[in-house]
Amino acid sequence: MSNFIFGRYLPGHSWIHRMSPQSKLLLSFYFVIVIFFANNGYSYGLLSALIVFVILMSGVSIAYFLKGIRPLIWLIVFTVLLQVLFSSGGHVLWHFGPFSITDQSLINGGFIFIRFLLIIMISTVLTLTTTPLAIADGVQTVLKPLKKVKFPVDTLALMLSIALRFVPTLMDEMETILNAQRARGVDFGSGSLKHRVKAAVPLLVPLFTGAINHAENLSTAMEARGFSDSEHRTKYRLYKWQFRDTISWIVFLLVGGLVLVFRKY
Amino acid sequence: MPRKGQTLRFNLLAMFIAIIILQTSIPLIGYIPIGPLSITIISATVVIATILMGTLDGAIVGGAWGVLTFIRAFVWPTSPLATIVFVNPVVSVVPRILIGVVAGVTYQALRKRFKRQSVSISIAAVLGSLTNTVLVLGLIYVFYRANAPQLYQVNIKELLPYLLSVVGTNGIPEAIFCGVVAPLITLPLQRMLKGRL
Repeated sequence: MSNFIFGRYLPGHSWIHRMSPQSKLLLSFYFVIVIFFANNGYSYGLLSALIVFVILMSGVSIAYFLKGIRPLIWLIVFTVLLQVLFSSGGHVLWHFGPFSITDQSLINGGFIFIRFLLIIMISTVLTLTTTPLAIADGVQTVLKPLKKVKFPVDTLALMLSIALRFVPTLMDEMETILNAQRARGVDFGSGSLKHRVKAAVPLLVPLFTGAINHAENLSTAMEARGFSDSEHRTKYRLYKWQFRDTISWIVFLLVGGLVLVFRKY
Repeated sequence: MPRKGQTLRFNLLAMFIAIIILQTSIPLIGYIPIGPLSITIISATVVIATILMGTLDGAIVGGAWGVLTFIRAFVWPTSPLATIVFVNPVVSVVPRILIGVVAGVTYQALRKRFKRQSVSISIAAVLGSLTNTVLVLGLIYVFYRANAPQLYQVNIKELLPYLLSVVGTNGIPEAIFCGVVAPLITLPLQRMLKGRL
């Protein structure tokens, strides 16, 4: 099961854990954009060094990161191979029919491989050190400027946190439904399109029914507690911008600047 | 005080987004692999949401799927196709929003014309699903025909026919699936929610 958000959070008290979610979110975006500008060995080396530093700072064992990459490795290799075999330019080392390998394409393939790793690593750091609810809170803070154009930021954030809250619940229910159907002898793994459709309907109907029941119960509970609209709510946890956020931004901005400088070499 | 059903609508939207998050992360209920193809069930979810709650909400649910696809293309890609194509937010988000819009408009237009609900739902679902396929294909063609600068610098031009055929062959069974499944699921749910939205 490929959980890319859930069950990944590891509690901790590291520097990264205690940063505010909004700056972690923004720094991840910023990092992905900086990766886009990297174009040679120096800049990739620098970014890799930064990500290793971030992983060390997060206090999470490196095994978790490797475990996150493992299911993706074939996909990454496949994409890198596409790049190596189909790109042109440089000195041709080997070619067969439409495929050719050049020195240029090998170097580019290597860079793409590093790019993949860097992006997956930074997002893994984010989800390992931030709870889904804190991420939803971070999204709310990041999108706050949109309030000026009457975009319902708070409603969206509340909706997102309710959705994230219910994903594990629905996942459990899904498991139960799957087992119930398996016990009745339904085979989900094979068969024609018609067979697959027939197998899917008895899975989806109870899943949706369950979700609608949750929505109804939750609405009753919310209205009983006087929920009127989500734009004027107060919060239990406040994530404030801290000194450590400023420091982290300075480090990331410096690295970003250096990458721009290295581009010229 | 909120209008009657306003909180329910809000929570239903949240639940649909939760279901879509679930469907994008568990293969069995999100995608059906048939041979080399893997057809998505999520467009059916978007159509169901559209018919239960209206065009606007369908578009929101579709948009949520699009944003998820976009984010996943970077951090947890499902296929090599995603890393190349869906890193462009226009390709990943816009077609998904329009599933809801097209399905909603079609359903509203056909609802009075056919006596049987299932017929109009089915037609809306097929059109919604095809909207997704056609727009994704069309936008890939528009964006990648010229060699635009890419995140992963893969030479798209030579891959274009391959990409288009993969997405195209997925599209047909997807539309059929959507057309069959959407009414089967929507009708009982509609009965459940009757008069409460």
